Amino acid sequence: MAELNEIIHQPVRLRIMSTLVTLEQNDEVDFIYLRDLLDVTDGNLGAHLRKLEEAGYITVNKTFVERKPRTYVSATAEGRRVFQEHVAALESILKSK
Amino acid sequence: MNISPSEAEEALAAIQTMTQKTRHSIASGSAHISLIITGAVWLIGFTATQFLTAPLIVWIWVVTSVVGSALATYMGIRVGRRVRIASSSVTGKRIGIFWALLILFAAAIIAVAHPTDGKQITLLIILLAMIGQMGMGLLLSFSATWWTVPVAAVALVGYFLAPDWFYLWMGLLGGGTMIILGLYIRFRW
Repeated sequence: MAELNEIIHQPVRLRIMSTLVTLEQNDEVDFIYLRDLLDVTDGNLGAHLRKLEEAGYITVNKTFVERKPRTYVSATAEGRRVFQEHVAALESILKSK
Repeated sequence: MNISPSEAEEALAAIQTMTQKTRHSIASGSAHISLIITGAVWLIGFTATQFLTAPLIVWIWVVTSVVGSALATYMGIRVGRRVRIASSSVTGKRIGIFWALLILFAAAIIAVAHPTDGKQITLLIILLAMIGQMGMGLLLSFSATWWTVPVAAVALVGYFLAPDWFYLWMGLLGGGTMIILGLYIRFRW
Protein backbone atom coordinates (compact mmCIF):
# COMPACT_ATOMS: atom_id res chain seq x y z
CA MET A 1 0.00 0.00 0.00
CA ALA A 2 1.25 3.50 -0.89
CA GLU A 3 2.55 5.58 2.01
CA LEU A 4 2.37 9.28 2.79
CA ASN A 5 5.65 11.15 2.55
CA GLU A 6 6.29 13.64 5.37
CA ILE A 7 8.82 15.69 3.41
CA ILE A 8 6.52 16.13 0.42
CA HIS A 9 3.32 16.66 2.42
CA GLN A 10 4.39 20.11 3.71
CA PRO A 11 2.14 22.57 1.74
CA VAL A 12 4.85 24.57 -0.05
CA ARG A 13 6.88 21.46 -0.89
CA LEU A 14 3.74 19.72 -2.10
CA ARG A 15 3.13 22.63 -4.51
CA ILE A 16 6.78 22.65 -5.61
CA MET A 17 6.67 18.94 -6.41
CA SER A 18 3.28 19.30 -8.15
CA THR A 19 4.83 21.91 -10.44
CA LEU A 20 8.01 19.96 -11.14
CA VAL A 21 6.32 16.63 -11.92
CA THR A 22 3.98 18.43 -14.34
CA LEU A 23 7.03 19.10 -16.52
CA GLU A 24 8.43 16.40 -18.78
CA GLN A 25 11.23 14.22 -17.38
CA ASN A 26 14.54 16.20 -17.22
CA ASP A 27 12.89 19.55 -18.03
CA GLU A 28 14.04 22.32 -15.69
CA VAL A 29 12.24 25.34 -14.29
CA ASP A 30 13.83 28.68 -13.44
CA PHE A 31 13.98 29.61 -9.72
CA ILE A 32 12.37 33.04 -10.28
CA TYR A 33 9.59 31.59 -12.41
CA LEU A 34 8.92 28.96 -9.72
CA ARG A 35 8.93 31.63 -6.98
CA ASP A 36 6.38 33.74 -8.88
CA LEU A 37 4.22 30.74 -9.73
CA LEU A 38 4.08 29.63 -6.09
CA ASP A 39 3.85 33.19 -4.75
CA VAL A 40 6.52 32.66 -2.06
CA THR A 41 9.63 34.58 -1.03
CA ASP A 42 13.17 33.77 -2.23
CA GLY A 43 14.21 32.63 1.24
CA ASN A 44 11.17 30.46 1.77
CA LEU A 45 11.52 28.77 -1.61
CA GLY A 46 15.28 28.30 -1.15
CA ALA A 47 14.77 26.59 2.23
CA HIS A 48 12.16 24.17 0.86
CA LEU A 49 14.24 23.41 -2.22
CA ARG A 50 17.22 22.55 -0.01
CA LYS A 51 15.07 20.12 1.96
CA LEU A 52 13.83 18.44 -1.21
CA GLU A 53 17.34 18.35 -2.67
CA GLU A 54 18.74 16.74 0.49
CA ALA A 55 16.06 14.07 0.21
CA GLY A 56 17.11 13.42 -3.41
CA TYR A 57 13.74 14.42 -4.83
CA ILE A 58 14.97 17.33 -6.91
CA THR A 59 18.19 18.52 -8.54
CA VAL A 60 19.29 22.16 -8.42
CA ASN A 61 21.42 23.29 -11.33
CA LYS A 62 23.23 26.63 -10.95
CA THR A 63 24.42 28.05 -14.25
CA PHE A 64 25.11 31.27 -16.15
CA VAL A 65 22.91 32.62 -18.94
CA GLU A 66 24.42 35.63 -20.71
CA ARG A 67 26.83 36.10 -17.79
CA LYS A 68 23.96 36.26 -15.27
CA PRO A 69 23.60 33.54 -12.62
CA ARG A 70 20.50 31.40 -12.96
CA THR A 71 19.19 28.50 -10.93
CA TYR A 72 17.18 25.73 -12.54
CA VAL A 73 15.27 23.07 -10.66
CA SER A 74 13.95 19.69 -11.82
CA ALA A 75 12.39 16.62 -10.23
CA THR A 76 14.51 13.47 -10.06
CA ALA A 77 13.17 10.04 -11.02
CA GLU A 78 13.04 9.22 -7.29
CA GLY A 79 11.17 12.48 -6.62
CA ARG A 80 8.60 11.63 -9.27
CA ARG A 81 8.17 8.13 -7.87
CA VAL A 82 7.64 9.22 -4.24
CA PHE A 83 5.31 12.02 -5.35
CA GLN A 84 3.12 9.55 -7.27
CA GLU A 85 3.16 7.28 -4.23
CA HIS A 86 2.13 10.19 -2.01
CA VAL A 87 -0.76 11.05 -4.34
CA ALA A 88 -1.86 7.40 -4.35
CA ALA A 89 -1.80 7.41 -0.54
CA LEU A 90 -3.91 10.57 -0.41
CA GLU A 91 -6.42 9.02 -2.81
CA SER A 92 -6.63 5.83 -0.79
CA ILE A 93 -7.40 7.87 2.36
CA LEU A 94 -10.24 9.57 0.51
CA LYS A 95 -11.59 6.26 -0.81
CA SER A 96 -11.60 4.68 2.65
CA LYS A 97 -13.61 7.62 4.05
CA MET B 1 2.16 9.77 9.32
CA ASN B 2 -1.62 10.00 9.63
CA ILE B 3 -3.94 12.63 8.21
CA SER B 4 -7.70 13.04 8.09
CA PRO B 5 -9.74 12.55 4.88
CA SER B 6 -10.43 16.31 4.76
CA GLU B 7 -6.68 17.04 4.90
CA ALA B 8 -6.12 14.50 2.12
CA GLU B 9 -8.82 16.18 0.07
CA GLU B 10 -7.22 19.60 0.59
CA ALA B 11 -3.79 18.25 -0.41
CA LEU B 12 -5.19 16.67 -3.58
CA ALA B 13 -6.99 19.90 -4.45
CA ALA B 14 -3.71 21.85 -3.97
CA ILE B 15 -1.91 19.39 -6.28
CA GLN B 16 -4.59 19.72 -8.94
CA THR B 17 -4.55 23.53 -8.73
CA MET B 18 -0.76 23.68 -9.11
CA THR B 19 -0.78 21.20 -11.99
CA GLN B 20 -3.34 23.28 -13.89
CA LYS B 21 -1.61 26.54 -13.04
CA THR B 22 1.73 25.19 -14.31
CA ARG B 23 0.25 23.82 -17.53
CA HIS B 24 -1.57 27.07 -18.27
CA SER B 25 1.46 29.14 -17.40
CA ILE B 26 3.74 27.15 -19.71
CA ALA B 27 1.19 26.88 -22.50
CA SER B 28 0.30 30.55 -22.45
CA GLY B 29 3.91 31.63 -21.81
CA SER B 30 4.71 32.75 -25.32
CA ALA B 31 1.24 32.36 -26.89
CA HIS B 32 0.01 35.70 -25.56
CA ILE B 33 3.14 37.51 -26.74
CA SER B 34 2.89 36.24 -30.31
CA LEU B 35 -0.88 36.90 -30.32
CA ILE B 36 -0.54 40.52 -29.21
CA ILE B 37 2.34 41.24 -31.60
CA THR B 38 0.69 39.50 -34.58
CA GLY B 39 -2.57 41.30 -33.76
CA ALA B 40 -0.77 44.66 -33.80
CA VAL B 41 0.92 43.83 -37.14
CA TRP B 42 -2.44 42.84 -38.65
CA LEU B 43 -4.14 45.93 -37.25
CA ILE B 44 -1.60 48.24 -38.90
CA GLY B 45 -1.02 46.18 -42.07
CA PHE B 46 -4.61 45.40 -43.00
CA THR B 47 -5.91 48.88 -42.14
CA ALA B 48 -3.18 50.33 -44.38
CA THR B 49 -4.09 47.84 -47.15
CA GLN B 50 -7.72 49.05 -47.06
CA PHE B 51 -6.88 52.73 -47.47
CA LEU B 52 -3.42 53.09 -49.06
CA THR B 53 -1.91 52.13 -52.42
CA ALA B 54 0.59 49.51 -53.56
CA PRO B 55 4.22 50.52 -52.89
CA LEU B 56 3.45 52.04 -49.49
CA ILE B 57 1.38 49.02 -48.39
CA VAL B 58 4.28 46.66 -49.17
CA TRP B 59 6.68 48.76 -47.09
CA ILE B 60 4.26 48.93 -44.17
CA TRP B 61 3.83 45.13 -44.21
CA VAL B 62 7.59 44.53 -44.52
CA VAL B 63 8.52 46.93 -41.70
CA THR B 64 5.78 45.83 -39.28
CA SER B 65 6.44 42.13 -39.99
CA VAL B 66 10.20 42.45 -39.48
CA VAL B 67 9.83 44.53 -36.29
CA GLY B 68 7.06 42.20 -35.02
CA SER B 69 9.09 39.03 -35.74
CA ALA B 70 12.20 40.45 -34.06
CA LEU B 71 10.19 41.52 -31.00
CA ALA B 72 8.34 38.16 -30.79
CA THR B 73 11.64 36.25 -31.08
CA TYR B 74 13.29 38.38 -28.37
CA MET B 75 10.31 38.03 -26.01
CA GLY B 76 9.97 34.31 -26.83
CA ILE B 77 13.63 33.68 -25.92
CA ARG B 78 13.17 35.55 -22.63
CA VAL B 79 10.05 33.55 -21.75
CA GLY B 80 11.68 30.32 -22.95
CA ARG B 81 14.37 30.68 -20.29
CA ARG B 82 11.79 30.06 -17.58
CA VAL B 83 11.52 26.40 -18.49
CA ARG B 84 14.43 24.58 -20.09
CA ILE B 85 13.11 21.75 -22.20
CA ALA B 86 15.43 18.74 -22.23
CA SER B 87 14.29 17.74 -25.72
CA SER B 88 14.32 21.29 -27.16
CA SER B 89 16.58 20.41 -30.13
CA VAL B 90 14.24 17.60 -31.22
CA THR B 91 11.22 19.87 -30.72
CA GLY B 92 12.88 22.69 -32.65
CA LYS B 93 13.60 20.34 -35.54
CA ARG B 94 9.98 19.15 -35.56
CA ILE B 95 8.69 22.73 -35.60
CA GLY B 96 11.04 23.60 -38.47
CA ILE B 97 10.03 20.56 -40.54
CA PHE B 98 6.35 21.16 -39.83
CA TRP B 99 6.38 24.81 -40.99
CA ALA B 100 8.61 24.06 -44.01
CA LEU B 101 6.18 21.35 -45.15
CA LEU B 102 3.16 23.54 -44.47
CA ILE B 103 4.63 26.36 -46.59
CA LEU B 104 5.21 23.87 -49.44
CA PHE B 105 1.63 22.59 -49.15
CA ALA B 106 0.33 26.18 -48.95
CA ALA B 107 2.20 27.08 -52.14
CA ALA B 108 0.73 24.00 -53.84
CA ILE B 109 -2.81 24.79 -52.64
CA ILE B 110 -2.55 28.42 -53.82
CA ALA B 111 -1.15 27.28 -57.20
CA VAL B 112 -4.03 24.82 -57.67
CA ALA B 113 -6.78 27.12 -56.34
CA HIS B 114 -5.37 29.96 -58.43
CA PRO B 115 -6.99 32.80 -56.44
CA THR B 116 -8.03 35.73 -58.58
CA ASP B 117 -7.67 38.61 -56.14
CA GLY B 118 -5.72 39.71 -53.08
CA LYS B 119 -8.58 38.96 -50.70
CA GLN B 120 -8.67 35.28 -51.68
CA ILE B 121 -4.90 34.93 -51.31
CA THR B 122 -5.07 36.74 -47.94
CA LEU B 123 -7.84 34.49 -46.63
CA LEU B 124 -6.08 31.31 -47.85
CA ILE B 125 -2.85 32.38 -46.13
CA ILE B 126 -4.73 33.24 -42.91
CA LEU B 127 -6.56 29.87 -42.88
CA LEU B 128 -3.36 27.93 -43.59
CA ALA B 129 -1.49 29.87 -40.88
CA MET B 130 -4.27 29.06 -38.40
CA ILE B 131 -4.13 25.37 -39.40
CA GLY B 132 -0.37 25.54 -38.83
CA GLN B 133 -0.75 27.13 -35.40
CA MET B 134 -3.32 24.51 -34.43
CA GLY B 135 -1.21 21.63 -35.72
CA MET B 136 1.90 22.89 -33.96
CA GLY B 137 -0.05 23.31 -30.73
CA LEU B 138 -1.26 19.73 -30.91
CA LEU B 139 2.22 18.50 -31.87
CA LEU B 140 3.73 20.14 -28.80
CA SER B 141 0.78 19.37 -26.51
CA PHE B 142 0.11 23.06 -25.93
CA SER B 143 -3.39 23.76 -24.67
CA ALA B 144 -3.36 27.37 -25.92
CA THR B 145 -4.36 26.56 -29.49
CA TRP B 146 -8.08 27.30 -29.24
CA TRP B 147 -7.56 30.96 -30.23
CA THR B 148 -7.05 29.93 -33.87
CA VAL B 149 -10.76 29.07 -34.19
CA PRO B 150 -12.24 32.54 -33.38
CA VAL B 151 -9.58 34.25 -35.53
CA ALA B 152 -10.35 31.96 -38.52
CA ALA B 153 -14.09 32.50 -37.93
CA VAL B 154 -13.65 36.30 -37.94
CA ALA B 155 -11.67 36.07 -41.21
CA LEU B 156 -14.35 33.89 -42.90
CA VAL B 157 -17.24 36.09 -41.76
CA GLY B 158 -15.44 39.20 -43.07
CA TYR B 159 -14.61 37.55 -46.40
CA PHE B 160 -18.19 36.47 -47.10
CA LEU B 161 -20.23 39.23 -45.45
CA ALA B 162 -18.11 42.36 -45.90
CA PRO B 163 -15.95 41.80 -49.02
CA ASP B 164 -15.58 45.53 -49.74
CA TRP B 165 -14.25 46.19 -46.25
CA PHE B 166 -12.41 42.88 -45.85
CA TYR B 167 -8.96 44.37 -45.11
CA LEU B 168 -10.33 46.88 -42.59
CA TRP B 169 -12.39 44.06 -41.08
CA MET B 170 -9.26 41.91 -40.74
CA GLY B 171 -7.32 44.82 -39.28
CA LEU B 172 -9.86 45.85 -36.68
CA LEU B 173 -11.61 42.55 -35.91
CA GLY B 174 -8.88 40.03 -36.86
CA GLY B 175 -6.01 42.00 -35.33
CA GLY B 176 -8.22 43.29 -32.52
CA THR B 177 -9.44 39.76 -31.67
CA MET B 178 -5.83 38.56 -31.46
CA ILE B 179 -4.83 41.44 -29.17
CA ILE B 180 -7.86 40.88 -26.91
CA LEU B 181 -7.28 37.10 -26.80
CA GLY B 182 -3.60 37.70 -26.02
CA LEU B 183 -4.49 40.04 -23.15
CA TYR B 184 -7.12 37.55 -21.94
CA ILE B 185 -4.58 34.68 -21.91
CA ARG B 186 -2.05 36.88 -20.12
CA PHE B 187 -4.29 38.24 -17.38
CA ARG B 188 -7.34 36.02 -17.02
CA TRP B 189 -6.68 32.52 -18.29
